[in-house]
Amino acid sequence: MEHDIKYAVELIGINKTFPGGVQANRDVTLKIREGEVHGLLGENGAGKSTIMNILYGFLSKDSGRIIIRGEEVEPKSPQDAIDRGVGMVHQHFKLIPPLTVTENVILGLEPSSKKPDRNNSLAVITATLLALFVLSFFLPPFEFLITAALLLAAIVLILYPPRVFENLMASTRFRAAFEKLVSDVRPLGFDDAAKKIQQIANENGLAVDPYAKVENLSVGLQQRVEVIKTLYREADILILDEPTSVLTPQEVDELFVTLEAFKKSGKTIILITHKLREPMALCDRISVLRDGVLVGTVKKDETSAEELAQMMVGRPVVFTVEKPPATPGSIILNVENLKVKDHRGLPKVRGVSFQVRAGEILGIAGVEGNGQTELVEALVGLRKPSDGTILVGDIHTTGKSPRFVREAGVSHIPEDRHRRGLILPFTIEENLTLGRHYRPPFISRPGILDLDKFRSVSSKLVNDYSIKGGGGGSLTSTLSGGNQQKLVVARELESGPKLLVAAQPTRGLDVGATEFIHKTLISMRNQGVAILLVSAELDEIRTLADHIIVMFDGRIVGEKRPEETDAQELGLLMAGHLEGEESVEVVN
Amino acid sequence: MIEDNLQDNRDQSDGGQTGLRANVERIRLNLVERAEEWPGPIKSIVLAFTKLLTWAFWKPLIWALFSVVLAAIISAIIMEISGYNSLEAFSALIFGALTRFDRVLFESTPLIFAGLSVAFVFKAGLFNIGAEGQLYMGSMAAAILGYIIPLPYGIHPLVCLATGALAGALWGFLPGLLKAYRGAHEVVTTMMLSYTAILFTQWLAAGPLKEPGEFQWNAQTTLILETAQLPILWGYYLHAGFLLAIVCVIGVAFVLNRTVLGFEMRAVGFNEAAAETAGIDSKKNVALALGIGGGLAGLAGASEILGTHHRFYNSWSPGLGFEGITVAVLGNNNPFGCLLAAIFFGFLKAGGNAMHQQAHVPIEMVGVMQGLVVLFVAAPRFIQWIADQSLDYGKWFSVDKIRPISFALNMIIALYGTYFSFILLGETQLGLMFIGISAAVSILSIAAFFMIFARNSRGFIVSLIASMCWFTLAAVGMGAGVDVSFMILVGLVQAVLSVLALLLVKGAGKSKGDGA
Ligand SMILES: Nc1ncnc2c1ncn2[C@@H]1O[C@H](COP(=O)(O)OP(=O)(O)OP(=O)(O)O)[C@@H](O)[C@H]1O
Ligand SMILES: [Mg+2]
Repeated sequence: MEHDIKYAVELIGINKTFPGGVQANRDVTLKIREGEVHGLLGENGAGKSTIMNILYGFLSKDSGRIIIRGEEVEPKSPQDAIDRGVGMVHQHFKLIPPLTVTENVILGLEPSSKKPDRNNSLAVITATLLALFVLSFFLPPFEFLITAALLLAAIVLILYPPRVFENLMASTRFRAAFEKLVSDVRPLGFDDAAKKIQQIANENGLAVDPYAKVENLSVGLQQRVEVIKTLYREADILILDEPTSVLTPQEVDELFVTLEAFKKSGKTIILITHKLREPMALCDRISVLRDGVLVGTVKKDETSAEELAQMMVGRPVVFTVEKPPATPGSIILNVENLKVKDHRGLPKVRGVSFQVRAGEILGIAGVEGNGQTELVEALVGLRKPSDGTILVGDIHTTGKSPRFVREAGVSHIPEDRHRRGLILPFTIEENLTLGRHYRPPFISRPGILDLDKFRSVSSKLVNDYSIKGGGGGSLTSTLSGGNQQKLVVARELESGPKLLVAAQPTRGLDVGATEFIHKTLISMRNQGVAILLVSAELDEIRTLADHIIVMFDGRIVGEKRPEETDAQELGLLMAGHLEGEESVEVVN
Repeated sequence: MIEDNLQDNRDQSDGGQTGLRANVERIRLNLVERAEEWPGPIKSIVLAFTKLLTWAFWKPLIWALFSVVLAAIISAIIMEISGYNSLEAFSALIFGALTRFDRVLFESTPLIFAGLSVAFVFKAGLFNIGAEGQLYMGSMAAAILGYIIPLPYGIHPLVCLATGALAGALWGFLPGLLKAYRGAHEVVTTMMLSYTAILFTQWLAAGPLKEPGEFQWNAQTTLILETAQLPILWGYYLHAGFLLAIVCVIGVAFVLNRTVLGFEMRAVGFNEAAAETAGIDSKKNVALALGIGGGLAGLAGASEILGTHHRFYNSWSPGLGFEGITVAVLGNNNPFGCLLAAIFFGFLKAGGNAMHQQAHVPIEMVGVMQGLVVLFVAAPRFIQWIADQSLDYGKWFSVDKIRPISFALNMIIALYGTYFSFILLGETQLGLMFIGISAAVSILSIAAFFMIFARNSRGFIVSLIASMCWFTLAAVGMGAGVDVSFMILVGLVQAVLSVLALLLVKGAGKSKGDGA
C-alpha cells in the first residue's frame, strides 16, 4: 500500500531547538501526498510555522531529513526550496510596502526571458549616449564616428533583434548562450513581468493591479500578491501559513475557490489554520501538532471538528461561551456625529453617533475598509477627527493625544499587531508594560524604571495568558504569531480600563486561547467595563456583542441585537444592501 | 533583495545550536532561576553577570574582533605590496601604543563622546551626521567662557563644560525640532547645520573673538584662564576629560536602559507607530534625542579645548565628529561598545605615530585600517558568508579528503597569483601591454578565488584562463628581457591544479563540489 503513494514532501524526524531553549519541533515526521490539501493544526506555539519554515529553507533544522519529490535536500536558503517548486505565504507577509505589486513579485528573481520594454530601452540608450559623450573627448573625430555607429548598431541589435537574425539562431545552442549573455546586459523587463502577473491573476481568479503600490492594498489583496509571488516562481507545492486569520469571511470564500482550483490543477497545498471548519471543508488529510510533537495525521472523512480540537488542546473545547444578560450602567463612550478623514484626506467616517455603556459590549461589523480603522484611530487619539465629539465618561477626548485618551481610561487592542501593537525588538517584559511604563508601579522614582517590577508583573501575565515562548527576557520577535497576539491582549486587558477598544482581538489565536479571551472579555463586561468590539468575524461579534452596529462606507447602516438577526442579514447590510428605500441612495 | 530581507531575519532568529552554546545557555537559565531567591543587590549583580553569558552579548564582540583581524590581514597585504615590512610595522604599532597608554586614552577621549553622541541618537532611530558641527559649537562656547569670566578653580571648568554641552545640544535640538514638526530629514539638516557651525565658529575666531595683539595672524581666540583648564591625569596628555567620558558612558547606558526617557526613545526608534499607539510622544522624543546627542558632541569639543588646546583655533578638530560615526558602528551603538571602539581607535592613532617613525609606514595607513575595520563590521553579510563557507568546508573535509584539498590548493594558488600580479602591476617600465595583462590576471585570480570558495566549479575554468594569461605575460616579459621563469612556474602550477580539480569534479558527476 504505502509504496504506491507518491509523496510531494517528506519530513522525517525533524528536530529544532531555538537558542533560548525552546524546543519547537521534536522528532516530527510529516508526509504530504502529491496533489492533496494537507491541513496543519495546532495550538499557538505548537511549532507549525517553524516546521514549514524549515521546509522552506528559512530556518535550519537541528536534525532530520527533508525529501522533496524523492530527492533528499538540505535547503540552505529559500532559493533551494523555490528551485524545487516550493512556495510559501508567510503568516506575517514579507512584502515591501512602498514598491508596486510587480516589483514585489519579481524582487529577488531574474526573469527568465527579458524582453525589452520602453523604460529599459530608454535607459540603455541613454547610457550609451552618455558613454559616447565621454568617448568623444578621447577619440579623434573619425574614429569616434565609427565607434559610435558600431555601438549604436550593436545596441539596436541587442534590444530589437531582427527577424532574420532570430531565425538564423533558432534552435541552435548558440542562441541559448547568446540569450544568456544578452540577458545579463539588459535591465529587468517590468512590462513583461506585469503582463505575466496579469495573466497569472486572470487564470487563477486573483484579480490585482500589477502597478498598484502594495501599501495601498488591503490585507486581503496583499495576500493575493503573496500567492501570486509563489505562482510566478512556478511553485506547485504551496505552503499557506494562516492565510485566513487576516481575511474577512468573503475573502476567505474567494481564497477557498482559488485553492480548490489549484487542487484541481494538481498542486499540493499545505494549509495552516486555527479555524476548524476550514480544514474540514477543504483538506484531504489533517495533521495536528502539540508542543512540537506530531499528535497524529487523520483523514478528513474519519474525523470531526470536536475531535480535532481535542487533539490540539488535549481536552474538549467548549465552542459556546456562557453569557449572562447584560446589565448596562452609565454611558462610558459617547460619540456624536464623528467625521474622520484618512491619510489622503478622503472622508472615511462620515458622521457616526453611538454610545457604549458600562457593562455592555458593542460590536461593530463591516467589511474591511469601510471606515472602522479610521473610527478606531480617532477614538484612541491616533487620528484627529475633522468634526464631531468624543466623550469618555465626562472627559472630552476629541483630538487629544493617545496618552491623554489612555489616561482617561481607554485601552486599545490594535488590529495590526506588528504595525501598532508591538515593538518586536523589545523583550516580552518591555512590551507587556508598554503604555504603562511611565507610571507607578513601574517606576521606582520619577523617571527611573523599576525593572524588578517589570519582571514580576510580566511573569504573572505570561502565566495567566499562557504566553508560550522563551520567558520574559526574550525578544518578542521570537514568539509565535498567536503568542504575540496574546501579549497585546494581555497588556491591554490588564491595564484596568473603563473602555476597551478591541479591534480583531482574537486574530491568529488558537481555539483554546480564543475561548479564554472570549471568557475574559465577558467577565470584564460583567464587572462593568464598556467594550467596543471591532471584528471581521461575524461569529465572534454575534457571540460576544450585546448590540451590533454595521458600518458601510463610513456610515452606520444598521443597528441590531444579536438575537434578532442572523448572519445572512448582517452580511447583506455589510455589503451595502440597506433595508427599505434608502438602498437606492447608497447605490448612487 | 527580498530574499535578502528573509536572510536577515534568519540570521537574527536562527542561531544554530552548537553543544557549547546550549550548555552555556542552560547554565545561564539556571543562574537566573536561582538568582530570584537571593537578596536584592546580589541578585542584580548576578543578573547582570548572566547577561554576559548570552550569545546576544558575545556575537557583536566576536564580530568586531573578527573584523579587526580581517582588517589587519588586509592591511598587511597592502603594506607588503607597497614595500613595507608589515611585521615590523605591526609590532611598532602595538609596542608603541602599549608603552604610551596615556596617549591611547587621550586620543580616545573625544572619540568616546562623539561615538556616544551618534549611538544615542541612533537608538531613537535617527542618524546624527552632524556631530562635527555640534562639537565645534561646544568647543567655541567653552573657549569663550574659559577666558571671559574669572571663576574659582573647580567651578570654572564645570561651567565651561556645561555651556559647551548646552551649545552642542542646541545645535542638535534644532534639526530635532525640524524633523519632529516639519519632517525635514535629519541626515540633511544635521549635515548642513554642521557646516554652518564650522563656518560660524571660524568667523568668530577670525573676526569678533580673534585674539587681540599686534602680531597675531592666526585665527584663534584668547588663551583660556588657568582656572578653566582640566587637570592632567597621567603622562603628558591625558586630562580629566577622560573621566568625564567614562561617566558619560555609564550615564548614557543608564538613561537608555533604566529610565522612562530611554525606554520611550528606544520604542520610537524601533517602531514609531506602535510607540505612538502606546501613548508615547514620538515628536518630543525625536527632538530630545537629537538634543542630547548634540550635547554629548558638544562635551567632546569642550573637553578637548579645556584639556588640550586651551583655546579655540580654526580647524582644530580633524573630523572627530565624523569619526564618531565609525566609533558607533564598531561599537554596535552600545555605550560600552563605543568605549571599547574609541579606545581601539585611540590605540591605532597612538601606535600609528610609532609605526610611522620606526617602520616608516605613512601615517595614513592608520586611516586605512580604521576604514577596513568599519567596512567589515558594517558588512555582516559578507562575513557571515565567509564564516558559513568555512564551516561548510570543515564539514566537507570530514567526509571527503581529496576534493576539498584540491579546492584549497587551487584557492591558495589563486590567492598567490593575485598577490604576485599586484606586485607586477608596479613594474611600469615594462609597458602598457604588460600592465594590462597583469591587471587582468589579478582580477581573474580574485574572481577564481571567490568562485572556488563558493564551491562553484566554474571557478576552475576562470583559474585556467588566468594560468593562460600567465603564459602570455611570460611571453611579453621575455620580449622585454626580464626573468620570466617564475611566471611560467605559477602558470604551470595553476593550470595543472585547475585541470586536476576539474577532472575530480567531473568524475564525481553531480557531486557536492558542484554545489552552486
Ligand atoms: N526565532 C525564534 N527564537 C526563539 N524561539 C522561537 C523563534 N521562533 C519561534 N520560536 C518559538 O518556537 C515555538 C514555535 O513557534 P511557531 O512560530 O512555530 O508556532 P506556531 O505553531 O506557528 O504558532 P502560531 O499559531 O501562534 O503561529 C514558539 O514557542 C516560539 O516561541
Ligand atoms: Mg505561526
